[in-house]
Amino acid sequence: MSGCPGSKTIDFSEKTIQEGGEEGKRPSQLRQWPIQMHLVSPQAPYFQGKDILLAADCSAFALGDFHKDYLKGKSIGIACPKLDSDQEVYIEKIKSLIDDAKINTLTVMIMQVPCCFGLAQIAKEGAEKASRKIPVKQVVVGLEGNILSEEWI
Amino acid sequence: MENVLNKEIKEIIDACPEVGRILDEYGIGCVPCSVGSCLLKDVVGIHSLDPEQEATLMYRIEKAVYPGRNVAKPVVDKTKKTAPKKISYSPPVKKLVEEHVLIKRLLALIPAIVDYIEGSAKVDKELILNCVDFIRTYADKYHHMKEEDILFKYVDEKAEVIQVMYKDHDTGRAHIRQVVEGAEKGNKSQIKEHLFAYRDLLTQHIKKEDEILYPWIDRQLSMEQVGEMFRKCNEADALVGDELPRKYERFIIELEEKFLQEVAK
Repeated sequence: MSGCPGSKTIDFSEKTIQEGGEEGKRPSQLRQWPIQMHLVSPQAPYFQGKDILLAADCSAFALGDFHKDYLKGKSIGIACPKLDSDQEVYIEKIKSLIDDAKINTLTVMIMQVPCCFGLAQIAKEGAEKASRKIPVKQVVVGLEGNILSEEWI
Repeated sequence: MENVLNKEIKEIIDACPEVGRILDEYGIGCVPCSVGSCLLKDVVGIHSLDPEQEATLMYRIEKAVYPGRNVAKPVVDKTKKTAPKKISYSPPVKKLVEEHVLIKRLLALIPAIVDYIEGSAKVDKELILNCVDFIRTYADKYHHMKEEDILFKYVDEKAEVIQVMYKDHDTGRAHIRQVVEGAEKGNKSQIKEHLFAYRDLLTQHIKKEDEILYPWIDRQLSMEQVGEMFRKCNEADALVGDELPRKYERFIIELEEKFLQEVAK
């Protein structure tokens, strides 16, 4: 195997085993706008005292039940640790979410590719810089939409 | 089998001791439990065994309870190896597990303390009362109160497993009252009996909490509840201040230094 696993071409369109069904409509669990980390403000009312999901851009596309299982009941910020610029702003925003918006918890959802762990590192640095302490959980999503791990960091 | 599932574990083990031995093989230590009022279905459920292990355990229990019954043996894929489960505690629960460590350090010193008391001409009342102060203030007020006032509120407090924890806390308090009485009267055998009983009780109690109860509670908590519990535990800690846990850690260190020297003599 060579090259960057984050941009390596993989085709799993032949995957035939599917769990779950197509019945029923799934309502969106998104309760805010904007969502991109450069656009959101920690002062926004939808962050105050809430449980926050910091999701890697690709995760919502990979995870079939993203809305039902992870977004529901949470406010969200999305980012790409590989392509986004000025990521030090993200660290400051996470610190501000913890100290100023007094968020309850932070869940960082990343893809399994190595570059995505940078987002967990950003969350960690923001949490370490904050004077308040809150529980932070890391969820790693596999390329085919399976949950590989959930752990407290 | 439905009838057995809804029976208290002590009643089942009393009638069929083989069930206790089977549970023990699966790391389910109900035999020495002081109460034993948990229902079999809860005992099995709380241990979160993998489905194959659980099916085999239930098969063996049913065969032991009803030896003449024709029970279908579950098919187990022996090529499938299950990795040992690593316990991952949520941050507020992890803090409670860490507090257990200091309590276990005192429990480990109890045999040496008892030897010292027995070998002394007069009971060292100050030593005993200092240990009692650690138990009442650090183990009970600082630690057990967070369990009782915060942690247990997130599950059904009427559940047998929680009732067993409350009972253990009360039994522990009763042993410590006896230790104080023994120290006041200079009664060495009373001190010895109840310090050892406290050590045995708390050793089992902490093991049950670390390995079974806390992970079981953690599995039921939402992110929102974890955050709320973390905040409540921090507020409870802030009320007593940072100095209290530091003071009792210093006490244990001094006790270890004293009794490690005693053992070395």
